[in-house]
Amino acid sequence: MGPMNTHVPHTTEPHGAQHYLLATRYNRSALVAHLVLAGIVCAALLAPLVRGPALAQRLSVSLDPPALFSASSQSGALLGTDSLGRDLGARLLLATRVSLAVGGLAVAVACVVGTVLGLLCGYLMGWFDNLVMRVVDALLSLPFVVLAIAIVAAIGPGLVNVAMVLGLTGWITFAKLVRGEVLRIRQQPFVEAARCVGCSHLRILFLHIAPHVLGIVLVGITLTFGQMIIAEATLSFLGLGIPPPTPTLGGILAGAQETFFAAWWLVAFPGVILMAIVLSVNVVGDWLRDYFDPHVPIPVVRRER
Amino acid sequence: MNRPLLEVEDLATHFTVSHPFGLSRRAVVRAVDGVSFSLAEGETFALVGESGCGKTTTGRSVLRLIEPTRGTVRLDGTDVTQASKPVLRALRRSMQLVFQDPYGSLNPRMTVGRLVAEPLVVHGLASGREAGERARELLSRCGLAPWVADRHPHAFSGGQRQRIVIARALITDPQLLVADEPVSALDVSIQSQIINLMIDVQKQFGLGFLLISHDLGVVRHMADRVAVMYLGRLVEVAPRQEFFSQPLHPYSQALLSAVPREHPQLPKTRIALAGEPPSPTDPPPGCPFHTRCPHAMPVCSRVTPQLRPAASGRTVACHLHHPPEGLE
Repeated sequence: MGPMNTHVPHTTEPHGAQHYLLATRYNRSALVAHLVLAGIVCAALLAPLVRGPALAQRLSVSLDPPALFSASSQSGALLGTDSLGRDLGARLLLATRVSLAVGGLAVAVACVVGTVLGLLCGYLMGWFDNLVMRVVDALLSLPFVVLAIAIVAAIGPGLVNVAMVLGLTGWITFAKLVRGEVLRIRQQPFVEAARCVGCSHLRILFLHIAPHVLGIVLVGITLTFGQMIIAEATLSFLGLGIPPPTPTLGGILAGAQETFFAAWWLVAFPGVILMAIVLSVNVVGDWLRDYFDPHVPIPVVRRER
Repeated sequence: MNRPLLEVEDLATHFTVSHPFGLSRRAVVRAVDGVSFSLAEGETFALVGESGCGKTTTGRSVLRLIEPTRGTVRLDGTDVTQASKPVLRALRRSMQLVFQDPYGSLNPRMTVGRLVAEPLVVHGLASGREAGERARELLSRCGLAPWVADRHPHAFSGGQRQRIVIARALITDPQLLVADEPVSALDVSIQSQIINLMIDVQKQFGLGFLLISHDLGVVRHMADRVAVMYLGRLVEVAPRQEFFSQPLHPYSQALLSAVPREHPQLPKTRIALAGEPPSPTDPPPGCPFHTRCPHAMPVCSRVTPQLRPAASGRTVACHLHHPPEGLE
C-alpha cells in the first residue's frame, strides 16, 4: 500500500521538557505569564530571608509614602509603610508566600476531591451520582461564608485549616465540571471500543476517560486559584482566616480600607500582585490546556510572518 | 461446511422507553426479536436491512456490548450470554468489533502504537517493547508504515484510521470479527481498499466475519451468506449467489431492486415500497412486513411466518413460500 508510506516524519523532534520550553518560547503571552509567575514564586520562596527589623512596628513612620515614588519618605521603605509603620515591601513578600500556599493547598484539595468524585459520578451514574450531586446541591444552597464560619469555628483558624475549608467547599466546581465532561465522553465510540477490547472499568475510567478531563480540570484550577486567594482574604477580613500578624494579600488589602484615601500604596501594591498572580495563572492554564490537547497544533519553530 | 464458530439462537434485545413525568405508558422497543443464525469459521455472514431494522443491535448483542433480553450466543461452544464478567472479559479476546466511525472509535489521546497494543496488555499477552513490536508488525500487515505507531490518530485519514482499527481488532488473534458498516463512513475511493484488506486478513487469520451493512455492493463482494433483517427479525437467509440472483422474500426483492444497475439501459424493475417501516414499539400483528408488502394476503396480518427451509440451501419467512396449514 504505497501512498501511506510517502510521508516521512521528522525523527529529531524534541520531546518532554525541551519540547515544552521550545513551544512556550513562541507563544508570547504564555511566555510572559510563565516569567511573571516564576518571578512571583521565586520571591515567595525567598521571603523567609526577610526577618527582624523589616517587620518591626515603627509608629513614628506610620503611613510613610513609598521611597520609590516620593522624596519625602522618612523610613526609606521602597513600597512605603502601613498604619503601624511596618515595611509594606517586606510584608508583601511574606504575604505572597502565604497566599500562594493557601491558594495552592486549597486548589489541590478541591481538585483531587472534586475530580475523583466527578469521574466516579459521571462513570457510575445511578445511586452514587445521585448521592454526591444531592450533597453538592446542599452545599450550593448554603452561603459560603456561613459554611466557612461553621467549619472554622469547629476546627479553629490557621493556614492549613483555612486551606481545608476552602478546598472542601471548592471541590464542587471540579466535581460538576468533571462529571459533565465524563457524561459526554462516555458516549463516544472509543469508550465502547475499550469495553469491547476487554478493558476493566478502572482502566477505562482512568486511562481512556480521565485524560480527556485534563483540559477542563486545568481550566478549573486556574479559575478557582484566584477565587481561593480572594476567599482567603474574605475569611481573613472576618477574622476567620490566618490570624495576624502573619500577613496575607487579602489581610493587607482588608486592613488598608480605613486609610486608603491617605495611603494609596497599601491598596495598589497588594492589588497589583494579586492581579498578576491570578492573570498569569489563567494564561498559563489556558496554555497548558492547549498544549495537552492533541487537536491543537503547537508550533515549536517560529512562525513565518 | 465447517463446524459453526458462532451460534445464535432466538436472540432478542428489547429496550424500555420510559416517558418523562410518566405521562404515557412505558413502551418496549423490540430492536431484535428472536434472531437465530450460525456462522462457520472463515465464513462471512452478512446482515442487511434498512436503518433501524436492528442489525447494529444484533451485532452489539452478540458481543454482549448490549445485554440481550433472551436467547443464547455461543462462540466456539462457549456460552457468551451466560458468561460471568471475568469470563466475558477473557472471551473478548476472541471476538472483536470493527466500528463504523473510524474517527470516534480511536481514543484521540493515545498514540496509535498504544491503541493497537492495548488489547495485548489488557489480556496479559505481552507488554512494553514486545507489545509495541507486535503492534508495529500488525500495522504493517494492515498496510501502514511502522512510524505510524508514534503518532496520534488525528494525524490520519479515515481509511488509514480504519486500518488502525482493524489492526487493533486483530492483534489478539480473534476468531470472530463483527464489522458494523466498516466502510460506509469512508470515501468511495477508499472503500475498496479497506474491503480488500478485510478479505486478505480474513484469509490470513481464518476469521469468521459478521458483516453488518446496508450497502448491497459491499455485501455482494464479501459475503458467503446473506441474511435480511426487517423490524428485528430475519426474513430470509440465503447463500450469496442465490440471494442476488433470485431473492425469495418480497422485502429482499424490494431491497435488491433498489440497487443501481451497472448499465443505465438495462431493464429496471424497481419495486417501490410505500410508507415507512412500522415502529418497533408497536409492530403489526402477523408478518411484520405485511403493511408494505405488494403480495400481502389476508393471512399475513394474522399469522406470523417462521423461517423455514426453501430451495437450494436457503430459509425464508413468508407465507407465499410456505402457506400456513389449514388456511385458504
